[in-house]
Amino acid sequence: MSQTKNDQDDLMRLLVAVSREDRDAFQQLYHRVSARMFGMCLKLAGQRDLAEDALQEAFLQIWHRAREYHTDRGMPLSWMMSIARYRTLDMMRARKIRRNGGEEHLEYVEDGREGPLDESLRSAGEAQLSGCLNELSDAQRDSILLSYYKGLTHDELAHVLSTPLGTVKSWVRRGLMTLKRCLEQ
Amino acid sequence: MNKTPERIENLAAEYVLGSLQGLARKRFERWMMESTKVRQEVWFWEQKLGPLSVEVAEVNPPSSVWTSIERRLWQQERPAGKAQSRANQRWFWPGWSIVATAAALVMAVLLLQPSQGIPQMQLSGAVVQAGINDPLWLVSETGSNNLLKLRSVAANAAETDKDYELWIVPENGQPLSLGVIPVGGVHQVTLTDAARDALSQSRTLAISLEPSGGSLTGAPTGPILHVTQLYEI
Repeated sequence: MSQTKNDQDDLMRLLVAVSREDRDAFQQLYHRVSARMFGMCLKLAGQRDLAEDALQEAFLQIWHRAREYHTDRGMPLSWMMSIARYRTLDMMRARKIRRNGGEEHLEYVEDGREGPLDESLRSAGEAQLSGCLNELSDAQRDSILLSYYKGLTHDELAHVLSTPLGTVKSWVRRGLMTLKRCLEQ
Repeated sequence: MNKTPERIENLAAEYVLGSLQGLARKRFERWMMESTKVRQEVWFWEQKLGPLSVEVAEVNPPSSVWTSIERRLWQQERPAGKAQSRANQRWFWPGWSIVATAAALVMAVLLLQPSQGIPQMQLSGAVVQAGINDPLWLVSETGSNNLLKLRSVAANAAETDKDYELWIVPENGQPLSLGVIPVGGVHQVTLTDAARDALSQSRTLAISLEPSGGSLTGAPTGPILHVTQLYEI
């Protein structure tokens, strides 16, 4: 479900209008991207009311900051999704929401070799990152994707993966740097 | 902490990923404000990791979300068409909702001793609440030594185990705490140069309700009770 160039052009047009305080454009923009953003907030937060609040805050920020958008920040959708992710992460941490203390993840670790990450997200991630995830060890890749999709901190990763904190930090850091070298090629 | 390219590279990646948190995250946000290079590194990762989000299933949010957005952005403009509401629209605070804002109206209050030396812009204002004749607090800046004064007028004590905390709302970024403010008497806060600069630009203060002693996180955690715009006098 990738964004076509036309989609991106439409979003850009709407965002420019929003930067001029065009309320109709803002509403259109909301209807175009809110379901995608909300799906991501919900996945990350694991909690509906928090995801709704984060979505609301993200759109307020988009309204206020549309004129700060520029193409160095990526395509419009990427910029807006980043805003929504940061707001969700902020709220998760502010409220110290930790869905069931991570127990659900632990069961996955014990029960199957798949690890705590949905297989569908793992393969989707591979496709989106141009195969660069294949250059990482399984542990590095899962740590990174768990952080990204579930918002797990280092401490939580260590808990979920039953691995010492230092090791987890190293997986994430080295994995990201390997990913960067690959993505830059 | 040294801002070596390797360190920036690592921290930017973890910032976007979300695994950088707490004080380290706040410190890094400050680096972002200070350095184009740091911001560009963040943008790199936002763009590279962004496509991961595309694969997550879409979910339609309830209509109440849009209704709330509309209400928070534009509700104030409807009554009577006063020009006051726009002042508060520039600021934005992640993760918060304004619970009981009644502080849209701001009076210029002034009391300035003639400044010695160079004339300097000074800010002043009042925190007011609908239905109460007197302002809750009067705010004034004494330009010579970065002092902000709050004089409590009609403010009532916070509920048990709670304190009022004063914040500068900058144009961008996280609010800056100016500490807990007492009710009664005159309270003075010495602004750092950075805080003074932020306030000069945004001219916006807010008061939130926090646990006794103030927010433990360095960021506001309770409801915002008042937002007020200061004026130059």
